[in-house]
Amino acid sequence: MTYLRPLVPGDASPDALVTDRYLDALLGAGDRRAEDRRAADAPTDADLDPAIRHASAVLRASLVRVHPSFRFEDRLAARLADLAAERQGRAAVGSGDVVPFRRGASTGGDAGAAARDPLLDAVFAGTLDPSDAEAVDRAWGVRVSGRPLLVGGAITSAALSIAGVAYVAWRASRPGRWPASTGAMARAARVAHARRAALAGGAGGPA
Amino acid sequence: MARPGFGRAERTADRVVVALDRDRPLVEAARRDPARFDALYRKYLPQVYAYALYELADHHAAEDATERTFLRALAALPRFREQARADEHPEASTFRVWLFRIARNVVANERRSRRRRPAGSLDAALGAGLELTDASDLEGDAVTRDEAAAALRAVRALPDDRRRAVLLRFVDEMSTAEIAGVLGRSEGAVRVLLHRALGVVARDLGRDRDAAPGRHP
Repeated sequence: MTYLRPLVPGDASPDALVTDRYLDALLGAGDRRAEDRRAADAPTDADLDPAIRHASAVLRASLVRVHPSFRFEDRLAARLADLAAERQGRAAVGSGDVVPFRRGASTGGDAGAAARDPLLDAVFAGTLDPSDAEAVDRAWGVRVSGRPLLVGGAITSAALSIAGVAYVAWRASRPGRWPASTGAMARAARVAHARRAALAGGAGGPA
Repeated sequence: MARPGFGRAERTADRVVVALDRDRPLVEAARRDPARFDALYRKYLPQVYAYALYELADHHAAEDATERTFLRALAALPRFREQARADEHPEASTFRVWLFRIARNVVANERRSRRRRPAGSLDAALGAGLELTDASDLEGDAVTRDEAAAALRAVRALPDDRRRAVLLRFVDEMSTAEIAGVLGRSEGAVRVLLHRALGVVARDLGRDRDAAPGRHP
């Protein structure tokens, strides 16, 4: 269906509005069948840049919608039926427990994208909104790429932990290269250590 | 916030929300019986798949992304809330916007992963895109295969949101309002994204035309 919207001042640049109005008319002029896409054009606003009009025509002819293979369509339909059965089962039991998605049960246990989707269980459990771009990015970063995550202002990552362990081990292997600590805590530790050594020497000595 | 009743309007802090979703009966049926999600799946499969294919330029990656999109949609369907703005096109489908938000997130993650471990060359990706276009379709529009190739190349090189807006507009024939819902931008911003994207495509097409062998004897 073609519908024309009046220009709304202050909404966007006038050129963008003219382009948008043309696209509304152009893309609404025929359906997705190739012959309609070839035949139809749309009335052109005098202000429309001819180069933009030509680019729109090229994109309209080039960006055709394609259908996936029927084999894929049926395979995915079977996986969805699996998940639907899972959901119904949970609803019937009335359990609030999180049950991991039973992967590929009716399709021979084929490890497809569903089995490889590390976020599906969280979506299923209701702890992740799949339409929330930020939440999905965070979850994907943590579960898939191991990307550092900002939590309460502190950067935490496995890489930092490994670097910390390596640094401590390296320092421990070179005790002589570092000056003795002169802090209050270090002094207290040295005094306590000397006292324990003296007591041990006294207790173990001749009566 | 409570879901609005059919045909009823409800004023919230920033907008009037009304029930306009043409998919409402199918969504309600799928909520009652998840097995009936199949109708929504069959209806939107080609749209989601085509979007993923143009974004990822790889058959298998597009199938994986499509699969994840629909599985996540079915898993999250009980929490989907129908919301459409009152000034939206009467045929706007808020389920479709929600579904494409999921698809957009799946595809964005996949593109990021592929940047870390590139699977193929740029030429291979372009070739995959060109296979989509049927030469007979192009001839009728007086659009040459070279122009189609140049246009696809230009679209692939666009910044993320411009590219997404073009694909949603031309491949999935979404309205500006629907694209705004998918991308989380205002309608004005989407119009500007599209206008600028078309400007870039037009410029690249012009450059290719000038550089064609016949133009320089």
